[in-house]
Amino acid sequence: MKITGYRVENYVMQMDRSIADANNPVGDDLMPASLLWIETDEGISGIAPGGGDIEQFFHLLEGEDPREVVGLWRKMVDYVHKGGLVASGGPIAAIDIALWDLKAKIAQEPLWQTFGALEGRTKAYASGIGYCLSDDELFAFYRRMAERGVDGGKLKIGLDMTADLRRIGIMREALSVASDRPHLMVDVNEYWSPKQAVQAMHEIEKRYDITWIEEPARRWDYEGLASVSRRIKAAVATAENLRSIGEVYPLIHNEAVDIVNVSTATTGFTGCRQVANMCYAYELPVSMMNCQANYMAHLAAALPNHLAMEVVDPGREHCLRFDNTIEDGFIVLGDAPGLGIEVDEEALHQLQAHPPERKSNFPFARREGAGLYVKEPEVGEVPWK
Amino acid sequence: MKITRMESTLYVFDQDRRMGDANSPAGRIKGSGCVVELHTDEGLAGIGLGGGGVRPQMQAMVEQLLVGQDPRRVQGLWKRMVDKHFKGGHDGLINDAISTLDMALWDLKAKANGEPLWKTLGGSKQKIHCYASDIGLPMSDADLEAWYRRMATEYGFCHAKLKVGLDQDADLRRLEMMERVFKERTDAPMLYVDANEYWSPKQAIRKVSEMEERCSIAWIEEPARRWDYLGLRRVKEGVRTAVCAGENLDTLGDFLPYFQHRAADVIQVSYGMTGISCALQIADAAFGYELPITLGGSPGLIHAHLATVMPNFMTLEVPDPVVRDGVFTSDIEIVDGWAILGDRPGLGLEIDREALEKQRVDAIPAGSGPSPFGRRPGAGLYEVLPTAAEQAEAAKGVSA
Repeated sequence: MKITGYRVENYVMQMDRSIADANNPVGDDLMPASLLWIETDEGISGIAPGGGDIEQFFHLLEGEDPREVVGLWRKMVDYVHKGGLVASGGPIAAIDIALWDLKAKIAQEPLWQTFGALEGRTKAYASGIGYCLSDDELFAFYRRMAERGVDGGKLKIGLDMTADLRRIGIMREALSVASDRPHLMVDVNEYWSPKQAVQAMHEIEKRYDITWIEEPARRWDYEGLASVSRRIKAAVATAENLRSIGEVYPLIHNEAVDIVNVSTATTGFTGCRQVANMCYAYELPVSMMNCQANYMAHLAAALPNHLAMEVVDPGREHCLRFDNTIEDGFIVLGDAPGLGIEVDEEALHQLQAHPPERKSNFPFARREGAGLYVKEPEVGEVPWK
Repeated sequence: MKITRMESTLYVFDQDRRMGDANSPAGRIKGSGCVVELHTDEGLAGIGLGGGGVRPQMQAMVEQLLVGQDPRRVQGLWKRMVDKHFKGGHDGLINDAISTLDMALWDLKAKANGEPLWKTLGGSKQKIHCYASDIGLPMSDADLEAWYRRMATEYGFCHAKLKVGLDQDADLRRLEMMERVFKERTDAPMLYVDANEYWSPKQAIRKVSEMEERCSIAWIEEPARRWDYLGLRRVKEGVRTAVCAGENLDTLGDFLPYFQHRAADVIQVSYGMTGISCALQIADAAFGYELPITLGGSPGLIHAHLATVMPNFMTLEVPDPVVRDGVFTSDIEIVDGWAILGDRPGLGLEIDREALEKQRVDAIPAGSGPSPFGRRPGAGLYEVLPTAAEQAEAAKGVSA
């Protein structure tokens, strides 16, 4: 089997609700999105939610067997040696995902089995990314997840301690139908300095037993992250904004991270698995980041050190059909070959033909005051103030 | 596809040369092996090689954990086997058992796809860098030189390893001989030396420093005890040569002190380190540390499959360019000094049933194991030169 071509389709994803964090509490429901197809001479295509400048890599792929995905990953990563992965990480990840989809489709099995998982399931936790949600909406989101057995939740915090404390309580109450002691996580998205994080967590931990605080200092500040970890009871989770295993290494070596957030950001499935394996050597759990159609659960299911995968479910798969569900607190993957994702071409065409007139806020810029002082939400910026 | 049962057969064979290291200067001329086959309901069987000393443990694991399971779910089954032995630890004998079964599972996974394992792993077919490994401390200078020369001329090897440790003058002489032979192939042969934990760190620094005055050495292997990460680091900082270590560790966790303390320059993943599954994990962890991986000798050179998916893979040990035991064949060949992967499904191994029947034994005879004499007196303290009796035994060559 040989790779013969590719296709990228861009569209604007309009989610069923907005998502927001400390850097952009207003949030947005629009996000630029892409789909990539990698085509072969035998008519099977690999699909990836993702895109970017695929052309720069296609000469490395053309005529090659997609089953040799790890070798092709190496070719791509070596190809961008000089410039690094900052600009090229996205397209490499998209290609890698589409190649793994192909590899599993060729073997006529779900990707979780290609990765060697015993079962197509992995534990889920609910993540509202909902700084823009009212208290009632917040409760409704976590309750809806809890009713599917999800016993952990993560809340965006960082701008208003009174509101943050109240909303952690709302999340806990909503999740209480799934567990008497739901796992409570908080995420500040690098808005604080290390000492702000220590002080804030001191307040929060007086009231709540927190499983982890995510990104309590800048992504590369391993000394700051380590200092937060030593001074609080909760685990420090981080790494979602790193681009390769080499960037994760200083965090691990310097005991700056207790739970490693893994995702396609480290060059797709192949790079993600490398990071997870390195963490496994250090007895560090990993937690898979959210993604459209939850497709990264295929890899999470095969990782021996996977804790729980983030589920946001903002309704963003309007042109996708996928065969996984949330049951009893787990993402349960189906048996369809590959990622189990099909593109609804007609729906995609409609999205492309009728793009929203508003402009998207993405990418979320960093908010004024980050790491220095807290700029509280202004009246009208969020519904809970 | 479901696993139905396991079959295992012990066998012995004659070696083509007298093999040994600093711990066994008399050497041995008999080898032994164990063929393990995992059968499935669809007629395919996966082959594992090893586990001759743990057949009851393997049988129990197959019955309790693997029968009825789909072998394509190998990572999950690997974890089952590891977790099952949580309390007592999955090192030692249990490690041998898991490694062999894991190998058979990967063989099955690739065979189920009708493709070679390197492709199942996601690798691209490529030439694999490798070196000729003598494991020939008992051999005379003349025999060893002839062996190196044959490796260089018949198979095109440019790089080689020498067992050292007991007799510094002999080691220096043989090191220069090895360099001479391989310089006929290349201006820059990679020359490795291996002391198999016979020295203390300071002995290693003295001896390797003296060797460095004669030749440029690519690495010194196991210059201190496997768990002595501070000693290994001491050697690493005390010589110009790279320190290579890890071959006697069993589990991923065993490598943690090496990474955390930067104890070695090259991480060695040997055959049977909690299986292919764990070998891949070790390589990923080392990759995060920018540490190269070298793969130890393996039956039929099957480690070459793994090399294709390790971005930090450096070189593959080749004790025998062609399988010598008569019981199985491998489709991995040495051509012009590189290991070339084949296209047979799975590991590319084929069993010769007739030969296996002829060579099968009920128990492994003494002296046929890989390290039949244990650790040598004086190890880590002072060198005990080969005795007259050992020299006489070694002098018999393969004719004994």
